[in-house]
Amino acid sequence: MNNTFKLRILQDDPIIHNVKTALGLPLFRGMPNIEDKPCLENCNKCIDVCPTNAIQLNPIKINLGLCVFCPQCEETCPENIIHFTNNFHTATDTREKLIVTKNIKSISPNTASKKIQKYFGKSLKLRQISAGGCNGCELELNALSNVNFDLGRYGIEFVASPRHADGIVISGPITKNMANAISIAYEAVPNPKVIILVGACAISGGIFKDSDQISRKFINENKIDIFIPGCPPHPITFMNALLDWLNKK
Amino acid sequence: MKWISVQNNQSFDLNSIIFLEKDEFRNSVLNLMKNGSRMIALTPIQKNIPQKLIAVLVNSESSNIFVVGCNFENSELTFESWANEFPHTNYFECELSENYGYLPLNHPWLRPVRKQNTILNNRPYNFFKLEGEEVHEVAVGPIHAGIIEPGHFRFQCHGELVYNLEINLGYQHRGIENLFLNSNPNQRIILAESIAGDTTIGHTFAHCSIIESLTNTKTSLRTQIIRTIVSELERIAMHLSGLSGIANDIGFALPSASYGRLRTLAINSLAEISGSRFGRGLFVYGGVRFDISNQIKNVIVTNLTKIQNDIKYINESLFSSVGSLSRFEETGIINENFAKSIGLVGLAARSSALEEDVRINFPYSAYKYNPVSMITLSTGDVFARTRARAIEIDEALRFIFDQLENLNQGTITSEVGNLSPNTSVVSMVEGWRGEIVHIATTDENGNLTQYKIKDPSFNNWYGLSLTLRNTAISDFPLCNKSFDLSYSGHDL
Repeated sequence: MNNTFKLRILQDDPIIHNVKTALGLPLFRGMPNIEDKPCLENCNKCIDVCPTNAIQLNPIKINLGLCVFCPQCEETCPENIIHFTNNFHTATDTREKLIVTKNIKSISPNTASKKIQKYFGKSLKLRQISAGGCNGCELELNALSNVNFDLGRYGIEFVASPRHADGIVISGPITKNMANAISIAYEAVPNPKVIILVGACAISGGIFKDSDQISRKFINENKIDIFIPGCPPHPITFMNALLDWLNKK
Repeated sequence: MKWISVQNNQSFDLNSIIFLEKDEFRNSVLNLMKNGSRMIALTPIQKNIPQKLIAVLVNSESSNIFVVGCNFENSELTFESWANEFPHTNYFECELSENYGYLPLNHPWLRPVRKQNTILNNRPYNFFKLEGEEVHEVAVGPIHAGIIEPGHFRFQCHGELVYNLEINLGYQHRGIENLFLNSNPNQRIILAESIAGDTTIGHTFAHCSIIESLTNTKTSLRTQIIRTIVSELERIAMHLSGLSGIANDIGFALPSASYGRLRTLAINSLAEISGSRFGRGLFVYGGVRFDISNQIKNVIVTNLTKIQNDIKYINESLFSSVGSLSRFEETGIINENFAKSIGLVGLAARSSALEEDVRINFPYSAYKYNPVSMITLSTGDVFARTRARAIEIDEALRFIFDQLENLNQGTITSEVGNLSPNTSVVSMVEGWRGEIVHIATTDENGNLTQYKIKDPSFNNWYGLSLTLRNTAISDFPLCNKSFDLSYSGHDL
């Protein structure tokens, strides 16, 4: 019994209180910042090293849906134009907004419709489906329920059955072998329902986009509500996305 | 000598492999296994020449890796199965059969490894099924309750007791081995990081070692030490995650939450070094991208000291509780002989008294100079696999403190040249689950023509299915978590 109290005392106060203003560790690679400087003439170095073809030039643009947040472009740029900041606000609600240019410092989803806010504002239950995810995104989603992040304090929780859920959270590039299962699970969720994509693989196929073993049909045929970029996204990125979208403090 | 013998990470010329006739090949492999070796791969040496096969075996006592070749050019793609005498080879034979159309004759149970809706022997594959009074079947998955990867489980039960559990995987198959052959070096590192996201460092370590052997690159001592430090950090983080999961599965909330809290400290230490909580972006060919400065070193020491202090109380709480011991002890037992015959590796093998640890048996990188201790337990039950995690955390902490104190000065990257032509390498790394094997081959132009990956889960899934025999089905989650195997590492 004494040990139980001891454990509770050692636990102290590990929770991150202010999620919206939290910043990553110094080396953490979050929202990329693109300096307003001209590139060297005929320099394609960042495009050449990017493993997922996430970068376009003239003007320079980074597609966060493809980006795996490896620092290869930052490292190779001779003019130090690209820099990954420790800002967690990288999620959004449309594919267009995932494309970062030099004037954008952070992105966040627009507030959901009044109807969605009324339905899900106080309680949002999600069913997670991994469809080829490497367990990186899955571990970060699991971490959301630990004592540091405690997503439950906002009324957002992961549930065991799609029948109990208000939406699905997908990670992984959608393998051919999971394509059928994911459709069945989505059908089992009652209306209205949301789809949240977590990680570069789910949003664009990521590093696996050219594999012949993946099937992107489900993603292309359904309306996606939130895109959460990263490889894997930090739990706080996920929290910020849902808090902004549901207009919660 | 009918085979060649190499060391871990030692490159060898393709022409040095002796390609035998079918019967001689079978006998050579059989001889090696009779002398205590264990199969770690059975694959064509080049992807586009499926007739030229190699079997790779290891002998943990003599630290040798044996490569036996066979040429099937003048014969049918069939061979007599070894699995009736050495059961651990059965899954390798299934994999070879599925990928390249070989037929192992008299195989005890040919079944699909990753493909769905397979046709075997001209029939669609059916799950193993029991019939009789009071027998019932429970089918779970591919989507499970909770945030976890997909896989399908079929239990044949009699009341509460499980007669047989068949595990059907492949839902995560992304074709990663083929992607390795068609990718540039910048992409290959990211692919290696994504083989199994929980073993990012283990797999990337093996991949970088392979490329460094193929290019004859020497890494600096500082690089090697940083690499082993982060390997042990990953081990601590994932063992804490496992302990948290096991405590959660028996409904013991306080240790579960406390282990989870400590895991955050461990992965944040990784993030201090690399910017990623899983160590992504840290490994580059020839070295590491980020150095450990004095400032970072101090943060890591602070974090790990906190873990070392707190975990004593959490362990005491978990392991002194009668409730948890009654769930752990004598649940899901695999004894030593059984573990050896089905070829368990890593943490699960050591919990069944097998001395299997790549860091000690096939030392690589800085483990050559700074050894770790082998941790074995003898009972082979859930308790052993849980307790082994706690002890390995202590040992990993000791190792990291030691290394951080003696971190020498030096460069952290080396120049990497081109891949040598017509060369092959076997690289083994001890991930937190167990033995990771990568095998690569180049052609005459120095392009990769074969890349074979074996995650420890490939060996151990079969172990999980056998622990369930005569165990109550309600103990499945606990047994499963005590192994904590990877789906994506198996499915590739």
